[in-house]
Amino acid sequence: MRIQRVKAMKNPREFIVQKFTEYYRENANNIALPTSYKKREFGFILFDKRVMLRHKAFVEPRFFRDFIKSITPSDVYHSAAYYKQPSRKMGKKGWIGTDLIFDIDSDHIRTPCKVEHKYWTCEGCDQAGVGKHPPVCSQCGGSKFKMVAWLCETCLETAKSEALKLIDFLVNDFGFPPQDIEVCFSGHRGYHIHIEREEIKQLDQDARKEIVDYVLGTGLKVSLHGLMEVIRRTGKKVIGPDLNDPGWGGKIARGVYDILVTYSLQQLKEINGINKNTASLIYSHRDKILKSWNNGNPWGSIKGIGIKTWEKLVETSVDNQAVSIDTVVTIDIHRLIRMPLTLHGKTGLKVISVPSKSLERLDPLRDAIAFSKGTLKVYVLAAHRFRIGEEIYGPYRKETVKLPMAAAIYLFCKRAALLTD
Amino acid sequence: MLVSKEDFAKYPFIIEAVDYVKSLDLKTDELSQPEFSAVVTRAETRIEEALIDGITKWESRSGYEIEILSYPVAVIFVSNIDDNYLKRRYALAEAKRVQALLKEDVDEKLIEIAISVFRWNVKSLPLEVYQPFDFSLSFIDYLRNAPGFHDYRWKLVNKRLINGNVFLQKDEFSRLISEEVRKHIEETIKTSPKVELDILLLQRIERIKQRLNLRKERIRINEQPQNIISAAYPPCIKQIYDFLISGQHISHVGRFTLTSFLLNVGMKVDKLIELYTPISDFNLRLTRYQVEHIAGVRGSGTKYTPPSCETLKTHHICPGPDDLCTNIKHPLAYYRRKIRMIRK
Repeated sequence: MRIQRVKAMKNPREFIVQKFTEYYRENANNIALPTSYKKREFGFILFDKRVMLRHKAFVEPRFFRDFIKSITPSDVYHSAAYYKQPSRKMGKKGWIGTDLIFDIDSDHIRTPCKVEHKYWTCEGCDQAGVGKHPPVCSQCGGSKFKMVAWLCETCLETAKSEALKLIDFLVNDFGFPPQDIEVCFSGHRGYHIHIEREEIKQLDQDARKEIVDYVLGTGLKVSLHGLMEVIRRTGKKVIGPDLNDPGWGGKIARGVYDILVTYSLQQLKEINGINKNTASLIYSHRDKILKSWNNGNPWGSIKGIGIKTWEKLVETSVDNQAVSIDTVVTIDIHRLIRMPLTLHGKTGLKVISVPSKSLERLDPLRDAIAFSKGTLKVYVLAAHRFRIGEEIYGPYRKETVKLPMAAAIYLFCKRAALLTD
Repeated sequence: MLVSKEDFAKYPFIIEAVDYVKSLDLKTDELSQPEFSAVVTRAETRIEEALIDGITKWESRSGYEIEILSYPVAVIFVSNIDDNYLKRRYALAEAKRVQALLKEDVDEKLIEIAISVFRWNVKSLPLEVYQPFDFSLSFIDYLRNAPGFHDYRWKLVNKRLINGNVFLQKDEFSRLISEEVRKHIEETIKTSPKVELDILLLQRIERIKQRLNLRKERIRINEQPQNIISAAYPPCIKQIYDFLISGQHISHVGRFTLTSFLLNVGMKVDKLIELYTPISDFNLRLTRYQVEHIAGVRGSGTKYTPPSCETLKTHHICPGPDDLCTNIKHPLAYYRRKIRMIRK
């Protein structure tokens, strides 16, 4: 059974390109080029091509601005690296150094809502829908579908709290001044953290990998942070790090403390390697353990909770304290990153950059709106609930609605709506 | 300050020692004169010790002067022989000697070398407050050398890192300096100008070359076997391979790991591409390009090797080690060792 399409409805692609063109015509002059832009490589994704236009370099900001105005890219990137000749092929560029960057993408973080906002589009036509895709498309009969990431407030909040956790690592452990840490909302599902200080530019991939492992807690050995069994005159005793210890030691202690305060009995039982009886023992003694954290040695306070149990609690604590970053982005010294104030082709939102201390107050779904003028009537194929600005829209199923421009363009970019007359 | 002759003899690479030697204004043709024969002989034994024991000795009995002068002469010899194995081995042997001396020396000397020679950002810690730590080194400088050490205690994640500084004990700091010394000496050898040597010195060089060749013969490098033995794949490769065969999704890093591994154990490009054909997003042109790129046929011409075990753990490719994996740092090392075990 095929659904008859109303003739007046159109694929919005041309419209998106037109709006992106308008955006760049009006805003290109406000786009600041990154520091030492002459030494960086720029990359662009175009609407009608699937490959990235790479190895571009600009000797003056106006050349860059004229360029984006003339080509209207769907996405704009620049290298985190500096090169002697950024426009040459990778092997011939002459690497000078690379900023330290981190990517926190909610795609990489397990959030409970992810199953709720599954979304698909048909590769053969402009059909789309929520949930699991059908075996064949009801409109074109095709069987190839693409799963699309939906913009979700919960996912974005999770990504933000991961970013805040990372900033804590960068300031307290790595000693970077907060004002030197720049945070970017990517315009879609996550945040980039960017540090340009001179001393980090020469770090090689192995060194960057060590930094990655540090924030992920990969390869962490608890005994090297003070959790161990010692033999005293009175017998075996477990000792461990203190809440106020710096670095991972303190993180481990605070993480275990958090578990004791917040975990239900059921959650304790679900910790890998802790059996039901031990979980109950911990649960019933948690007040006593917590109290001994203020005056004494919590790690050795309860008989029956030995080193093995503590190690399991610490493993969970490490997982909780670690930051979910995309490992490849930080290690790859030739990586391209999105450029602030350019648009994201999958949302029509703009990339925005804020100092690290303002991250907490940032509302990406309000602050990153690029198209704030006008409204538009669109035919929505299907849409989960979503927020743009202060309003919440949807869910919609095959209906015509009037939306503010930013919301309409968001749905167009997701291929979730068609243009009406 | 490092000003005594003893310091120069112990650490002949420091700026003051180099300047001291310069100030003597010696010419290479003077070296064959009898008054320098002790120096030249000591230079030769330095290299000999490096080849045989892997560490040069701290030789102070015959006087500091000979120690100081014999180091640059040894560098001239090694540079003249121009053999990569010898260059690495000599630099390492000198670095080991330095490490042993640093451990016994006073803290100020370590700090002085780290700051004046290598421009490291380091401070010594008052013992009573920071026990058991002696030094705090900027993590940037720490990461210059620590990633090359494979023991878990060297991982940054297992270090006390406060406000950008890694807290270290003396033996750890000595090890880090000595690694920098090794690189420094390798660099000195590499950039050392070629000098004409007279017949007497060339005879000594011939003798060293003979010893070097004996040594190299003994460590005949294990040739890579011609046939690919899939039973010898490490667990990580086995898992990616199984994913591939069963049509499951493999991450970019996973594909790179498998491709570079199989190319390195001798699989041909065409055979590899065939292997990727069942994947749902298979694209022949793109796959060929990528495989050839990794094989070094295209692009920069670099032939890639698979990532180390460490890196595979970081990217969650490592499915967890098996018994053989302990003490192994690279999937290709696993493969070679396993083949030896299978053959036995």
